[in-house]
Amino acid sequence: MSATLSATAQLPAPAPRGETVVEFKEVWKSYSGRAVLAGVNLKIQRGEVLCILGPSGTGKSVALRHINGLTRPDSGDVRIFGESIVGHSEEELSPVRRRLAMLFQGGALFDSMNVEDNIAFPVREHTEKTPQEIAAIVAEKLTLVGLPGIQRKMPSELSGGMRKRVALARSIALEPEIILYDEPTTGLDPVSSEKIAQLIVNVNERLQTTSVVVTHDIVAARTAADRVVFLHQGLFQFIGTFDEAASSEHPILMEYFRAMGFPCGTGVFQAAPKGV
Amino acid sequence: MAPPEPSATAIFYRNLGWLRFVDRFGRKGSQIVDYVGGLAELVGEAIVGCVTRPFYAGEVLRQMDELGVKSLSITGITAFVTGGVLALQTAYSLEAFGGKMFVGRVVSLSLVRELGPILTALMVAGRVGSGITAEIGSMTVTEQVDALRSMAISPVRRLVVPRLLAILIMMPVLTAIADMLGILGGLAIAVLEIRMTFQDYFTSILQQLQISDICSGLSKTFFFGFEIAAIGCFNGLQVEGGAAAVGHATTRTVVLASICILVSDFFLTKLFLAI
Repeated sequence: MSATLSATAQLPAPAPRGETVVEFKEVWKSYSGRAVLAGVNLKIQRGEVLCILGPSGTGKSVALRHINGLTRPDSGDVRIFGESIVGHSEEELSPVRRRLAMLFQGGALFDSMNVEDNIAFPVREHTEKTPQEIAAIVAEKLTLVGLPGIQRKMPSELSGGMRKRVALARSIALEPEIILYDEPTTGLDPVSSEKIAQLIVNVNERLQTTSVVVTHDIVAARTAADRVVFLHQGLFQFIGTFDEAASSEHPILMEYFRAMGFPCGTGVFQAAPKGV
Repeated sequence: MAPPEPSATAIFYRNLGWLRFVDRFGRKGSQIVDYVGGLAELVGEAIVGCVTRPFYAGEVLRQMDELGVKSLSITGITAFVTGGVLALQTAYSLEAFGGKMFVGRVVSLSLVRELGPILTALMVAGRVGSGITAEIGSMTVTEQVDALRSMAISPVRRLVVPRLLAILIMMPVLTAIADMLGILGGLAIAVLEIRMTFQDYFTSILQQLQISDICSGLSKTFFFGFEIAAIGCFNGLQVEGGAAAVGHATTRTVVLASICILVSDFFLTKLFLAI
């Protein structure tokens, strides 16, 4: 494996804190004639944790994948760090993608590599760091996600929760400005889900990143989110804080919260303090 | 009295079978055009990836071992056995005409010009083509390919180019070894079964076999290797769904690569004979 160009020298300066870093403008996306995103608008601010809530199959992951250009809109505009990425080729998307990271639902760890090589992979590809520096980065990130000393293990030897944490360590190896989480707690037990949600908050605060979390896990959203958006029938039906969502009388949101086993619209269910 | 004119609805239903046929034919045609277009696009990107940076030399070497060296046993055994069978059949057919001394000539020419390249290619298509599709297909359905893209790493450069180059390098090597083993298989049968001498067998080969025969046979293998790698990688990257989809894609690779090898062999043979 050869080292490639150093990314950092070519990257534009980070946007100021609080600035809009992701913007959806009238984004439409259809599959087999069904509009999954029907002209959605959204602005995500630097430094926040934004959770996209909604039932399964409503297009939350599709919305997320528009942010790093893995999915392209049928129409509308997606702006990252103020620059439109619509119509960009894969090569043109590279500078933006180097400033982003994505945690996939199943972790998407490379089966043929051990944990160390998985985490080191993006560092080796995009920087010219020495093996000692890379080993230090791997150890540091593994400690950050609470799994020190598992460098030599293969992905097949890890549990679901560990795989997601290793995948998170890989995502933050290059210290990205935005981290995209696709269903980070799906398939985990409640304790592991809560740990992952807390980890999202910790990583966001310690690395000063922006996080966009797609989930249908209300408990995780309560722990992690500064703001939640609720996607239903192709539109963001609600945008606000978790407290506002919990006390909302929006009929679809109330139905969703009740279906997930939480009372809504009564103010009974309130957000817990962040990171607790 | 003239029969009443059939209504538009009646005409529609009468032609429904045809309309369905045309519709299905059109859809299939559109799928084929999409497939060929996608494959051509991938091949174009891969060729660019072969001559520009970043270039994964280490991965090329790893794939040469994985796809080439580890295929040696199956291609070698196939060639050795085929050489033996060819010697046996030739001796049996030509015995009545007193043509046993031509066994070496027939075995070597058949193997070097045709059977060596084609059998090696078919074996590689079965072992390597299916393996490439299964591996890349599994990576696709488990989002590992998307993970590469999200890290600003081109899956074509990282996954396709090393496999393509590894096969292009290893196919002539595998074929050359297969040719030699096939000739040795023929020798074994010639000596043990047909009671020819070692010297007669090789004299017969050296009298007939020319460098141009070897070159035409080995030249074909570049095309065969290219077809196997391109189809294997493309089918892997196109997989959507789960394990069943990976299985279907793998089967499709073996079938399509085998057909392409056989069809292109005909045209390449014509081309090399004309040259």
